[in-house]
Amino acid sequence: MLGGYISDLEAGDVFQPVEYVLTAFMATEYAHGVEESWEGFHSSRAPGGRQMRPPTMIHVDKMRILEKNCLKEQRVGGAKGPHARIHYEYFARQHSPAYVGERLIVSGRITDRYVKRGRLYIDYYLEVRTSDGRLVTTYTDKTLLKYEPETTA
Amino acid sequence: MSTPVSPKDARAVRDLTVGAEITGPVRLMTAERIEWYDSAMLSAAKGTLAQVGSNIHTDEDYARSQGLPAIIADGMIMANWVSSMLVEHFGMAYVERGELRTKFIKPVLLGVTVVCRGRVRSIEQGSGGGRTCMLDVWCEDEHGTRVVDGHARVELPA
Repeated sequence: MLGGYISDLEAGDVFQPVEYVLTAFMATEYAHGVEESWEGFHSSRAPGGRQMRPPTMIHVDKMRILEKNCLKEQRVGGAKGPHARIHYEYFARQHSPAYVGERLIVSGRITDRYVKRGRLYIDYYLEVRTSDGRLVTTYTDKTLLKYEPETTA
Repeated sequence: MSTPVSPKDARAVRDLTVGAEITGPVRLMTAERIEWYDSAMLSAAKGTLAQVGSNIHTDEDYARSQGLPAIIADGMIMANWVSSMLVEHFGMAYVERGELRTKFIKPVLLGVTVVCRGRVRSIEQGSGGGRTCMLDVWCEDEHGTRVVDGHARVELPA
């Protein structure tokens, strides 16, 4: 179910897309925060003469789309859910770079929700395209909704 | 006119063989590094400078209340360090068309030294003269215990 907590998300939920313009600040700040020093993520001294974002920034797009679609739990906005989530798996395929100044559209859905060894997981599928339709990144993600396993009475 | 910067010289990539090992960052997990990542991620999402608040990566009491042994590092920190290793070794071939999968198999606590590594699993010749390189990638602690497991795929141009 969209609109609630992240733990309310169900298989088949389709996110409302998010659209934004990638700025130099976003790419530089993220690269700086993860000690990624390749100059092409910090300036236009890159092949093609255009600054691009680190490929891993698809994970920021996950935060953006969750922020828009899960109004009660917002990591960016600072609203916690009932339980902390644990990121278990990141899987990104790059199809083309995202350049500073480009308008990006993030879309996606929940592909699965299941219990394994007493723990509840959800799986995401996201993709990022430029506003003119060029595919940038496709991404799947597995997240544990609660660290402590459920106990049975 | 600015000069494009290439992350890695082409010859080193051309000479890669199955079984070859690559290495990436070796870094101590500190509260500062966790804060750098969390704040940078929030800043990148908001588009303005942001400061991380209380969560399982920054707040010991909150982490324990969630059943964790202590503060744990965000797995994306290690995913990014592995990604940096791929940028360093494969440059634009990874940035443009690469693939990276990481599983965060063991919590990384403060004080752990994270070592990023990779090994070429296979190299397949493509029809256009390029090659597809598959790698096992992982992070281990200072005792050699894996904390992150994964693989990467890079299409190397002819």
